[in-house]
Amino acid sequence: MLGRIGRWIDERAHLSELWQSQMVDYKVPKNLTFPYAFGVMAIVAFAIQIISGIFLTMYYQPNVHTAFDSANYTIMKEVPFMWLIRHVHAAGANFFLAIVYLHIFTGIYYNAYKKPRELTWIVGWVIYFVLLVTALTGYLLPWGQLSYWGMVVTAEIPTSIDSAPIIGSLKIGETVSIWMKGGYEIGQITIGRFFGLHIWLLPLILLLLVSVHLYLVRAAGISNPEGREIDKKKEGVPFHPYMTLKEGAYVMGYLAVFFFFVFFYMHHFLPPDNYDPADPFKTPAHIAPEWYLLAYYTIFRSIPDKFLGFVAFNLSLVFLLILPFLDFSPLKSARNRPLFFIMFIVLVISSMALTILGTMPPTPTNAMLGLIFTAGLFAFFLALPVISIIEWGWYKARGGEKQ
Amino acid sequence: MIKTVFFTVIIVLFFYIIWINNIFAPHERYEMPAEHAKIAEDVKSYAKEGKQLFEQNCQACHSVRYDAVYISSVQANPKLQTLQEKYGKVLPRDVYQAVFHEDLMGLKESFGKVPPDLSTMYLVKGKEYLYAFTLEPQKVLPGTSMPPIMAGRPEETAKIIAYLKSVAEPSPEEKNKRVLMGVGTLAYLIVMGVLLWLWRGKMLKKTGLH
Repeated sequence: MLGRIGRWIDERAHLSELWQSQMVDYKVPKNLTFPYAFGVMAIVAFAIQIISGIFLTMYYQPNVHTAFDSANYTIMKEVPFMWLIRHVHAAGANFFLAIVYLHIFTGIYYNAYKKPRELTWIVGWVIYFVLLVTALTGYLLPWGQLSYWGMVVTAEIPTSIDSAPIIGSLKIGETVSIWMKGGYEIGQITIGRFFGLHIWLLPLILLLLVSVHLYLVRAAGISNPEGREIDKKKEGVPFHPYMTLKEGAYVMGYLAVFFFFVFFYMHHFLPPDNYDPADPFKTPAHIAPEWYLLAYYTIFRSIPDKFLGFVAFNLSLVFLLILPFLDFSPLKSARNRPLFFIMFIVLVISSMALTILGTMPPTPTNAMLGLIFTAGLFAFFLALPVISIIEWGWYKARGGEKQ
Repeated sequence: MIKTVFFTVIIVLFFYIIWINNIFAPHERYEMPAEHAKIAEDVKSYAKEGKQLFEQNCQACHSVRYDAVYISSVQANPKLQTLQEKYGKVLPRDVYQAVFHEDLMGLKESFGKVPPDLSTMYLVKGKEYLYAFTLEPQKVLPGTSMPPIMAGRPEETAKIIAYLKSVAEPSPEEKNKRVLMGVGTLAYLIVMGVLLWLWRGKMLKKTGLH
């Protein structure tokens, strides 16, 4: 009976043809390494966020008076199993960003942003940016002390444009800041617009962008750790079952790590200070953004001039966006590029150090270290054109196309 | 191979520092004698007694709204019961603050601010801080308007902390259930992962893709 229903549907929708053409006949390189699985893990993390988020909206109240209680009493104590959903959503946000960061660094390592995949990279960058905004808006919703004061600090950042020489007099920064908050202070209007953005506008944009990203990955083909384009007809392996089962097993491992944190270690994802209701008259001791923003935050605060700091952290984002055009070398993948590999290590260590420095108090020594690692971060981006020119030389010397 | 090990190690180290134990960030530590820490941990035996002690010593100023415990003057107000019939035992914060505005403002006049609700205080501060602060408020937080009401009564303080813990955290039975759920989930995922891997090996052998 079930088989007959299946056949009836298949005759009309041609699903098995779609499966055959998209999953079985679709060939991928055989030598894909473990980091290639971060992409599918990110999709899983996204799905987990959407599903857990839908349940959370059923009980959460976007209201300054009741938001804190709805999160910490209704959700955590009253409704059965909602504690689990909140744990999943809070840990899931951190895991999603962690996986996205690993995915970005994998892309940089294997030069997955190069021709013909520039557009995939650019769409991916937009996903990353929207994801940061989604995380930021969601962080305010529990209305704890960290939520509130984290947003106070974040809403201050655009005002640093106003200390610029000429454009400062236009007060653009203040306007942006007021526009973010919906007024001069963070209150009911802020929570309302953040809730709206967080629960449907930004997730819908993300969903659309992720679909485009996936389409582009299919259209341009998966990059290769060896840095050469494979002849898909001859050497590729079928996506299903070769890839699907391999990545399925990896995803199970990822979920096991994720649920370990969900059940046994929520201390970082639901930090103690955020169990204190938001109080505009009580400044907590340590205010810092969440870890995924700390690298930018450290760049911003290590530079003595506020406006220059603002420019620098935005510049690091812009450099990430135009990476495919900074790096115009004919060679691909850090495996074939020793100079690039060295600069990649500089990038990884700088960004990790900047993140950790963000959790430390702003002493002069830390500001100095911040400046050094900021220099390291920019050194990576600025070295790319130089490396590319050198590598063009090697490429020509070896006789062009033949590798 | 060296590259794989290197990247794995620094990534794991990075997330260990950021998520689990940040050895670079400042931490404040407070001491608590072991015998009192044991009392504060033991919700099952001391939470009930702690609640009585709370009512005697703290309730004049502090509420524990998540346990439907309000400040004494509110508790004596007949309006409370009418409101609880309408809104449930745990009153919404805006309703509570609006109806009992005068009681709260009276406290604000004496102390400079409304003494905080203690429903989630255990989670925010931890037992060591609560213990140190309640016994010697001026020493831990100079200038605070909290009176040293529990001075010289460390054991009773520990029992009150046990009560606050019982409100803030899930009950021991519930915690055990959650641990069991966690172990079950992890076991399921790991077994499924291994089975998938084995099945893949078999399938690839059959199709000659190995």
